[in-house]
Amino acid sequence: MGHPMPAAPRPRRLTIVLAKWCPHCVPLSVVHGRRLARQLRVPLRILDIDKPREERAADALVRAHGDAVPDYLIPQVFLEWSNGDVRHLLTGFSEQVPRTDRAWRDLFASDWLRSVRTEARA
Amino acid sequence: MTRRGAVPPVLRRTLVSPGGHCYRHCDGRIRSVHLRSGLPGVWTVRACPTGVVSVTSYAEWTGRDPLRDVQRALQRATFPKTLVRRWDLRTATREGPELGREAERFLARQRPRRGLRVVYWRVYPFKAKDATERRLMLCRRRAHAHPVFFAGDPSSAEWGCPICARRSR
Repeated sequence: MGHPMPAAPRPRRLTIVLAKWCPHCVPLSVVHGRRLARQLRVPLRILDIDKPREERAADALVRAHGDAVPDYLIPQVFLEWSNGDVRHLLTGFSEQVPRTDRAWRDLFASDWLRSVRTEARA
Repeated sequence: MTRRGAVPPVLRRTLVSPGGHCYRHCDGRIRSVHLRSGLPGVWTVRACPTGVVSVTSYAEWTGRDPLRDVQRALQRATFPKTLVRRWDLRTATREGPELGREAERFLARQRPRRGLRVVYWRVYPFKAKDATERRLMLCRRRAHAHPVFFAGDPSSAEWGCPICARRSR
């Protein structure tokens, strides 16, 4: 009898760091985030930087895995994996809201998402 | 050979974001202006026709953090240079999947891996000591060697660029 192979890591949770007053975040990124979480079959966690407890978690996540500066950009989107890895997926585009929308749409059409979904189904 | 940090055309195309209107100041269409500096990346200033700057960005294809160099470059082009404050500079890493398939595949092929790093500089309107509103403006008159950022009053009849004013005296 051989040793069992370690299971391939799977997506575990999608997190969006946002603020409710930010037009790149609400409703745009919440809507896209819900759709992405559905496609990945993971729960969506929203961390609002205007709520102190959520802000602390958001700051820690951005510092460890995101685009961290003292007054960092929002939204920032992260995918957590079953093996503990965290992948930064997207930071809002300061140019204008439609550019952030385009980034979300490109993410949905990406090779990366297709391969993650294929592996998750396997 | 391309210069280290230079943005290849396939990534440069992802930086284009046409359209948009000046936020709260006027209804003018935002135009993107490209600047040059000693840095290898791409500078883009989004400004309305009257010169009020919405946001300035610097993009570099790199594994390093260009933020300090960006701050220094902006300070050299800004009067007074104290307008360039650390907390007004914000970074974004573009990973690939959010940039479209062509850019995603290009970045996936590269070894060692490098991302597209973007530093944004946004200065929100503020009140001067005389209580008038000031906004970040860009002067591109040929009188100076390089474009100049300054805090101006867009409602004033005078242009307000301190370098142009100094030359005309």
